[in-house]
Amino acid sequence: MAFQSRNKFCYFKENGITDIDYKDVRLLRRFVNDQGKIMPRRITGSSAKMHRKLVRAIKRSRSIALMPYVDLGSE
Amino acid sequence: MRYYETLYIVNPNLENEALDITMGEIGTQLEKTKSKLINHRVWGKKRLAYQIENQKYGSFILLQFEGGEQDQMNEFNTWMKLNNSILRHMTVALDDKPEVYEEKVKEEPVEKEAPKGASEETPESDLEDEVVVVETTSEETETQPDVTEEKSTEETETTKDVSDESSEEDTEEKEAE
Repeated sequence: MAFQSRNKFCYFKENGITDIDYKDVRLLRRFVNDQGKIMPRRITGSSAKMHRKLVRAIKRSRSIALMPYVDLGSE
Repeated sequence: MRYYETLYIVNPNLENEALDITMGEIGTQLEKTKSKLINHRVWGKKRLAYQIENQKYGSFILLQFEGGEQDQMNEFNTWMKLNNSILRHMTVALDDKPEVYEEKVKEEPVEKEAPKGASEETPESDLEDEVVVVETTSEETETQPDVTEEKSTEETETTKDVSDESSEEDTEEKEAE
């Protein structure tokens, strides 16, 4: 088969994470593309519940300058 | 009562003493709201994701407290906004009561690193030994190329497989933390 579907799984359920801390930038970086955009659920595979928490955490860490709103690479 | 957490960024040019003074001021301001201080610690100097007031770096300070009177909390909020040495601040409601950090803060940076390193070393101790062996053999190959070349290649193949797996495990563990 040319197009085989990857196994999608919720990263948070898999690792037993129930709460996402906005200060944990290292975790949040996984769910953001190199432009700094939040990746959609259909790509990350995270559950709806955790995706909502994730989005809230990323937006919080953006507002306190831990994560970029727009990542233009090295300036 | 609810528990809150305020993370604020202080101008990085403030020296230790000045930083302590501003932290003290903020603490006294917060006590005016009749809220109980739980933690007030320096998180560290970090690079900002974007410039704030032409600053590329900022000292992040974490403040956790039990909420006081709401009206005075609003006043505290505006006071924080008007404070010139504070670049930005954000208050977030916490789900659970935060653990008291005060004593740990001074010890943890040292302690945390040690058990982490130990925990990583213990499962990998064998692997690391093998890696070391590879390095030594490669050195030997430079000196004695004829004898040890075959051995070193075999060992590198085996160790590569193992090290790949271990590196994946490492990343997973770190991310889990």
